[in-house]
Amino acid sequence: MSTKQAKALKGTAVKAVRKPAKASRAKVKSLDPVTFEVLKNSFISAVDQMAEQIIRTCYSFVIYNRDFSSALNDINGDSIAQGNQDISVHVGTLHYSCKAVINAFKGDINPGDVFIVNDPYAGGTHFNDVRVIRPIFVGKELIGYAQSNGHWADIGGSVPGSFDVQAKDMFKEGLRITPTRIWDKGRFCEDVARLIGASTRDPETVLGDMRAQAEATRVAEREILRLVKKYGKDTVVAGFNEVQNYVERATRQRLRALPNGSWETTDYVDQDPAGSEGLIPIKVKLTIDNDQVIYDFSGSHPTIGTLYNSAFGTTFSGVVAGMKTFFPDLPLNSGFYRPIKIIAPENSIVDARWPVAVTGFLMVFEKIMAMIFELWSNIMPERSIAAAYQLEYLLTGGTDLRFKDKPYFMYYDWLPGGWGGREGKDGCNSTCSPFGVGLMVQPIEGQERLSPILIVDNTLVTDSGGPGKWRGGVGINKTSRLLKAHGTVLSYICDRERSIAFGIKGGLPSNPHGLWLNRKGENQPNWLGAVFSDVPINDGDEYARVAGGGGGLGDPLERDPKLVADDVADDYVSVERARIDYGVVIKVIDADLCEYSIDWEATKAERARIRSERKKWLDEDAERVAARYRKGELTAFDLVRRFGVIVDWGTGDLLPKTTAEFRRMMKRRTAANWGGSAPSKQAAE
Amino acid sequence: MPQMRVAVDIGGTFTDICILNEKSGDIRIHKIASTPDDPIRGCLAGLGEAGVDLKEVSLFSHGTTVATNALITRRLPRTAMIMTRGFRDVIEVRRGTKEDLWDTYKDVAPPYVRRRDRLTVSERIDFQGKVLTPLDENEAREVARVLRKRNVQAVAVCFINSYINGTHERRMKEILAEELPGVEISTSSEVLPEIFEHERFSTTVVNAILNPVAGRYADRLADDLKDRGYKSDLLLLHSGGGVVTGRTARQFAGRLAGSGIAAGAIASRYIATEAGYPNSIGLDMGGTSTDVSLAWEGNNRVTKDWFIQYGYPIRFPSIEVLTIGAGGGSLAYIDEAGGLRNGPQSAGADPGPACYGRGGTVPTNTDANLFLGRLGAGLVGGGLKLDRALAETAVRDGVAKPLKMDTAEAAKAIISVANANMAAAVRLISISRGYDPRDFALVAFGGAGPLHGVALARELSIPTLIVPLNPGITSAMGCLLVDIRHDLGFTYIAAADEVDPKTVESEFRKMEAEARERLEHEGVKPKNMVLTRSIDMMYRGQWRTLNVQVPAPFNSVKKAIEAFHANHDREYNFRRDDTPVDLFRLNLSAIGLSPKAEIAKQKPKRGTPKPVEKRAVVFDEKPKALQTPVYNRRDLFAGATIEGPAVIEQIDSTTLIPPGLVGKVDPWLNIIIEVSEAKR
Repeated sequence: MSTKQAKALKGTAVKAVRKPAKASRAKVKSLDPVTFEVLKNSFISAVDQMAEQIIRTCYSFVIYNRDFSSALNDINGDSIAQGNQDISVHVGTLHYSCKAVINAFKGDINPGDVFIVNDPYAGGTHFNDVRVIRPIFVGKELIGYAQSNGHWADIGGSVPGSFDVQAKDMFKEGLRITPTRIWDKGRFCEDVARLIGASTRDPETVLGDMRAQAEATRVAEREILRLVKKYGKDTVVAGFNEVQNYVERATRQRLRALPNGSWETTDYVDQDPAGSEGLIPIKVKLTIDNDQVIYDFSGSHPTIGTLYNSAFGTTFSGVVAGMKTFFPDLPLNSGFYRPIKIIAPENSIVDARWPVAVTGFLMVFEKIMAMIFELWSNIMPERSIAAAYQLEYLLTGGTDLRFKDKPYFMYYDWLPGGWGGREGKDGCNSTCSPFGVGLMVQPIEGQERLSPILIVDNTLVTDSGGPGKWRGGVGINKTSRLLKAHGTVLSYICDRERSIAFGIKGGLPSNPHGLWLNRKGENQPNWLGAVFSDVPINDGDEYARVAGGGGGLGDPLERDPKLVADDVADDYVSVERARIDYGVVIKVIDADLCEYSIDWEATKAERARIRSERKKWLDEDAERVAARYRKGELTAFDLVRRFGVIVDWGTGDLLPKTTAEFRRMMKRRTAANWGGSAPSKQAAE
Repeated sequence: MPQMRVAVDIGGTFTDICILNEKSGDIRIHKIASTPDDPIRGCLAGLGEAGVDLKEVSLFSHGTTVATNALITRRLPRTAMIMTRGFRDVIEVRRGTKEDLWDTYKDVAPPYVRRRDRLTVSERIDFQGKVLTPLDENEAREVARVLRKRNVQAVAVCFINSYINGTHERRMKEILAEELPGVEISTSSEVLPEIFEHERFSTTVVNAILNPVAGRYADRLADDLKDRGYKSDLLLLHSGGGVVTGRTARQFAGRLAGSGIAAGAIASRYIATEAGYPNSIGLDMGGTSTDVSLAWEGNNRVTKDWFIQYGYPIRFPSIEVLTIGAGGGSLAYIDEAGGLRNGPQSAGADPGPACYGRGGTVPTNTDANLFLGRLGAGLVGGGLKLDRALAETAVRDGVAKPLKMDTAEAAKAIISVANANMAAAVRLISISRGYDPRDFALVAFGGAGPLHGVALARELSIPTLIVPLNPGITSAMGCLLVDIRHDLGFTYIAAADEVDPKTVESEFRKMEAEARERLEHEGVKPKNMVLTRSIDMMYRGQWRTLNVQVPAPFNSVKKAIEAFHANHDREYNFRRDDTPVDLFRLNLSAIGLSPKAEIAKQKPKRGTPKPVEKRAVVFDEKPKALQTPVYNRRDLFAGATIEGPAVIEQIDSTTLIPPGLVGKVDPWLNIIIEVSEAKR
């Protein structure tokens, strides 16, 4: 084995692979405007047609619920077009996968070949995301690649679904597929496919998906060859380059129109399970320098002893996906990436190297997105948005005793949640996560058929939206009961139990994520937190989990009391918390008719009281606050929003280091933006 | 004996009336401005203007956007939902997705029923239909009491797993009927007995909320027509491509949600089939958008994946129509990175294209066509005068100068981009579904369709272009010649190789009995009932199904499986013969044929009509303008041939025949243009 190969197997730093290309503004376009526009749209349409096909032919329910993406790549692997409905987290990773295939097979890529890769250390996301890549040839000349990426329901490893929260390295996580040939000049490599299928729990399904993905890439190939026939190969290849130049030009143009400057912020992963209590910081500093933008993650924590680490590919993706929401109309391709430079310290939580576990990369990914939302909210205030809830995964696996043949079941679930408040608008209630807004919520009637579970509650959580002048969207509770089953274990992958979705510009945080287990026959539910694995459960046990709300935007004491009253009529906010969080005193006229009135006098007084005292609350003795929580005098809402105190939500034990950092965060982000003591006129009246 | 058949299509801008003499087959049209505040007023006024004597009318059918508009404008009756405890928010949570993934400021529309009007009761049925918690009747009555106090006008009852056991929903409905007399009640198990709660609930809510709207509307219109002497049933076009009577409309108003959308597709299919082209693609290009539809072997493609507002599916079968933002008024501009773009933003009716002279300065497709001479200066029968100088300025300043082109080149470029966008939509509905455009005819209609038809047919290698007689009023014709149609179905999950054909047969028979009852209720005679069976099937482990037609009686599962493999191969380019196949849903379409009527055929004469004028027109093929004869569509007779270059003008549209092509007028007075495969 050559050194080069050995290095590739261990995983090399992908960020070295490409250097940002020089801007090609000076270059005269070689295509006429009509051909260019037609080709640009045709490339996107080719990718959309791939998506259209994969969603109708896939086997993995995860893919079916839209955890997939498609791309066209040029001869260097750079992205020409990506689907507009693609899952956000795959954005900015597909070109790395294509480059990995090119590096591995350069000089030996032939018509009829198809490749497969899932390597997170080569710019991929995690092992479940398997990319199928088909080279496109005109005669004997290679002109580009079609790529279909889908989340396989299982890729081996120590637990069903391949999310092992105990994993510290990849060997427990699943099968790592470095670039591999799966069709060889048109011949299906049955042996290789068998090896891959046999390394998973469900060979039939994963190989079904592999075939569906390979066929989808054929759809794009067909479209490109049609264009070649019509416009000629050279024109199409010129189009591949020009669409990237075009997006680059547009991006740089917009960056140039913005002021130069630097903005920085910090968000946190809850903890390092291998270390002591305390938030794990991720830091980023954004600098706009004329027509380029630099994201510097220096100061971020080293990798941690869990699967919540991000390799460089996903860090890059978090930056690109976060930034894209501020440029929503720009097409997605490598041209958008060129003006972006990322500095990520080696072996930090944003640049994990082989063989550090990375399957839970999305926890880091979504923090990066939240920070980018916040930073860009300073630059484009009209598009401000506070932090969203955290995507979470629940896995319940065991033997289904409802049927004679006792099949193995896997109840794999994720929830929507609240998004952050916006300038002039509340946050969206219960919407899919920033990870991928297209990742659909599953139908409960389907879940109850497939698994021995009964959903007893699936309701929006009153008061879960982070208070603000513009309220965060509300989150949701889902309570499941295990029916007739055997050998069932429960695992949960989440975060923001402690690093709660934050508000910006004076807005407050939402509420903690986590899971309560209520064993049959026991009176008290047990708090299992936001990350655990393999907890045995039995028939009749119930488990409830809350997906948080979004953070608020702006001072909640400046929220129009009429909006608060309207929220009360719809139970988005309770009468009680209208007073505590917003200082709005509501009187119930007729609950049957949802009639409520505002006590304006009392509201004015309450708002004045809160305004004068609230800064002190953030310095109140944390241990005493925790004690009041334990006694039931205060709720988690009170601790998080009023006192900035974080405890173990089950025992009520104070987490002092976490609390100290959380309070620093609250003061910086929220309290610093509260107006002076003078009540704003509009708000009190 | 009444012998006129009348169809009225009420759109946002115009109300179109189509009158067919059943005996002679002669067809007459009339167009009048719509009256959106009260659409019936415009409809009746139009009937008066057109001189329709309702006593002479045997069949009155009607396409309407009333239901669609009510959903979009949210002028809806106060409606409540009642759900299983714990499931209050199903229709707010939806599937959690957004239409625009990247724009954090573009939201999904709020649910049709606000959270405060969504109540719950204790009851629970499991996945097999077993009752886990009986319906708590005290709670049910308490809910009814609150709703009575709130004065709601419609209620949707939506319980979990009711698709497999609807007893609780039915009992809830009985209680509501007792407590809330006169209130419209829809239950999800009646409206759409189909697995997946959000899709079922959403369809049920749409149905419930539209029942009072459509019911009132149908009643009023029926009364007005009756007062004026009409004796038969009022027929309303639904999205599935058939009609229902007013009685059914009140119960299944959700089916009317896409009424207006379906009409054009039906007309296009009908015209092409009559002309001898059972495979056709309809291209309805209007001012702001273009609707694309597809017919295969004389049938429109049908989908159940559709909605009026994103996030709220309506799972009634509906004719598949793809709408894109490309129309005569679409704006062409140079974006920040120097790219030439066309649409989806539109100049609308106000200010309209630059050439309208109402202050628009950004060039549109209409401006480009006018500048090139393809469009004449008089539009809508000369009612509106178009200003060519303004069009020229707009094209020159907006596109030609920044791209350093001459103005004619720029105008051509604008149109080429619009054509490419439309071609992409056609490709999505044809090639990507496994259809080869070379097997089709393109029907170009709408005000702007016939101007772009030839270029699009060429772009897509479609060999034949059909321009109907009245391109601007084609939709009304779609309402004219349709049959009564019901679509029934329910979830039926089973392994194909284990299923007993006898059980399936008996399920189909049950549905057929119900279908016959419904048709009978609408006055259809047994000999006019046509029932068609189909099954939704999938490879085990797949998540989407494919529809496969099956014969009656159903006696061979093997044949159905084989048909499924073949369909899968056609649509997706692969099949897996060794993979087991599952049944998912049984469907029945029940058609009550309307009495036969046909549009008259004209006897062909030989000859070439005389042009009314000549003007300079720029075609794609030639760099310089050609002196081109302009014909009046009224002068075209069956059998006439017109050699390109030619322009054919009529009140509501303009047809372009480039040099080298020939337009032939067929016996229905359609212009048929054989577009050779030869490259430009």
